[in-house]
Amino acid sequence: MDFGLFAQHTMNGLMLGMMYALVAVGFTLFFGVLDVIKFSHGDVLTVGAFTALATFVGLKSMGVASTTVELLAMLIAAIGAMAVLGAVIAKAFVLPLRAAPALNTLLITLMLGTVLREAVRLFYPDGANPKPFPRLLPAESVSIGNFNLRLDNTIMLAAGVLVIVGLQLMLNRTKLGLAIRAVAQDEETAKTMGVNFSAIVLITFAIGSALAAFAGLMNGLYYNEINFGIGLYLGVVGFSAAIIGGLGSIYGAILGGFMFAALQTIGAVALPFASAYKDVFAFAVVIVLMAWRPTGLIPEKLSERV
Amino acid sequence: MNTNEPNALVVEKISTAYDKANVLENVSLTAAPGKITCLLGSNGSGKTTLIRSILGLTPPNKGVIRFRGLDLRGLPTHRVIAAGIACIPEGRRVFAKFSVEENLRMGAYQETSDAEVRERLVRVYTAFPRLSERRTQLAGTLSGGEQAMVSIGRGLMRAPKLLLVDEPSLGLAPILVQENFNIIRRIREQGITIFLVEQNVHQTLAISDYGYVLSKGRVVAEGKPADLSKTKEVHEAYFG
Repeated sequence: MDFGLFAQHTMNGLMLGMMYALVAVGFTLFFGVLDVIKFSHGDVLTVGAFTALATFVGLKSMGVASTTVELLAMLIAAIGAMAVLGAVIAKAFVLPLRAAPALNTLLITLMLGTVLREAVRLFYPDGANPKPFPRLLPAESVSIGNFNLRLDNTIMLAAGVLVIVGLQLMLNRTKLGLAIRAVAQDEETAKTMGVNFSAIVLITFAIGSALAAFAGLMNGLYYNEINFGIGLYLGVVGFSAAIIGGLGSIYGAILGGFMFAALQTIGAVALPFASAYKDVFAFAVVIVLMAWRPTGLIPEKLSERV
Repeated sequence: MNTNEPNALVVEKISTAYDKANVLENVSLTAAPGKITCLLGSNGSGKTTLIRSILGLTPPNKGVIRFRGLDLRGLPTHRVIAAGIACIPEGRRVFAKFSVEENLRMGAYQETSDAEVRERLVRVYTAFPRLSERRTQLAGTLSGGEQAMVSIGRGLMRAPKLLLVDEPSLGLAPILVQENFNIIRRIREQGITIFLVEQNVHQTLAISDYGYVLSKGRVVAEGKPADLSKTKEVHEAYFG
């Protein structure tokens, strides 16, 4: 393979990996503080992407022409609304189920995800069909041989890196981060230190859901099209990424996200069958990995329970 | 004891249950301000449940818990802590993946002044120079005795008015147990009210001002240490 093609696939893999990592980090955060799997996470991403799109349509109808204003408004609306939605889901459906088996939380969020997805399909105007998503980032590109480095992709990738670095700094350097990590390690002792447990859970769900909204917006800007099913797929991939990384570990989730994208890219490009099989290949490797390392590549919480 | 003392911790007729079975039945006791009050009892007598009841981790289903006039029953744990209470939990419960200093900072979680937190850190490091040497080390990699220091230091970082201490001697070597009791005595000298829950009868009574004996979820005896050590309830509670 020549350099240009290789670089193109690498760039595509990095973009996918960033989206997967952002979704996986959400799963791992939720599991960290509450030991629950929240299956509506992917559909929150969908709602976030559609919130961004609706914001764009709204601004257009109001005659706003500046792409910077549009983009900022979409970012703020999607992230803000999904943060609130995440906190509401935690408050209404996850925290009240604390005393029940974890399976109930899984089931109720699975159903909630279906409700969100169907609501987008039924209530967003013509929501059953794929919707074009505006191209708002500068589309200039630099050609290096066969490789076409696009400015918009570079911006998105850089923004994703900034978000992840920001999250890390928040978790490791701030008092809020200290409280989140304390709750993840030992909920009861954290409470005994004076941490407002419910508030930390709500904030964590808000943060995770905001990350999903960011990934949703990225998805729209990258493919210039969204549909009501994107979150279902990204949710399954993000969840798998969080599991192979080691549920509860932030680094593991990031690693898992990029690894899954790498597997897909390899499956699409380097293997001797059609690229339609890339997911079959990637998930098959995930299954093998899980059989080999049941607690994930960077085990965090599960190993402590042994 | 006098239950009208306004700054005391007062537990009145509380019953606490896990699921349906009552672990504590009609328990009443008072921890007088500036004193060490102990609660003795064997394994399974309900001592830790009493601490959990006070902290709101396992809320009692009836009775009253008051501290400095504030009704604590039904409050979430962080609001109980906000009343000026700190706890040195059973089994130390240090945050294994936090450094020593992060653990200590967790103790002062509700303190908003950074200068105050730093001042308290200096005080704890002065009291436990060993922790100062290991401030960046992960608490999970410390020895049991050092973890006990972290747990005590963490409680002191709260600068509490009332310190709940749950079985500090559990799992420690005898020389460390003695050291722990000396530390608790010194904490009392700072004017902090201490409620100490222990199995270790003699050393506990030696430093306490007043004591209660818990057996099968009920208070079966109370009194001054000198009187308490002679009662048959103490012996029965452990051997009966």
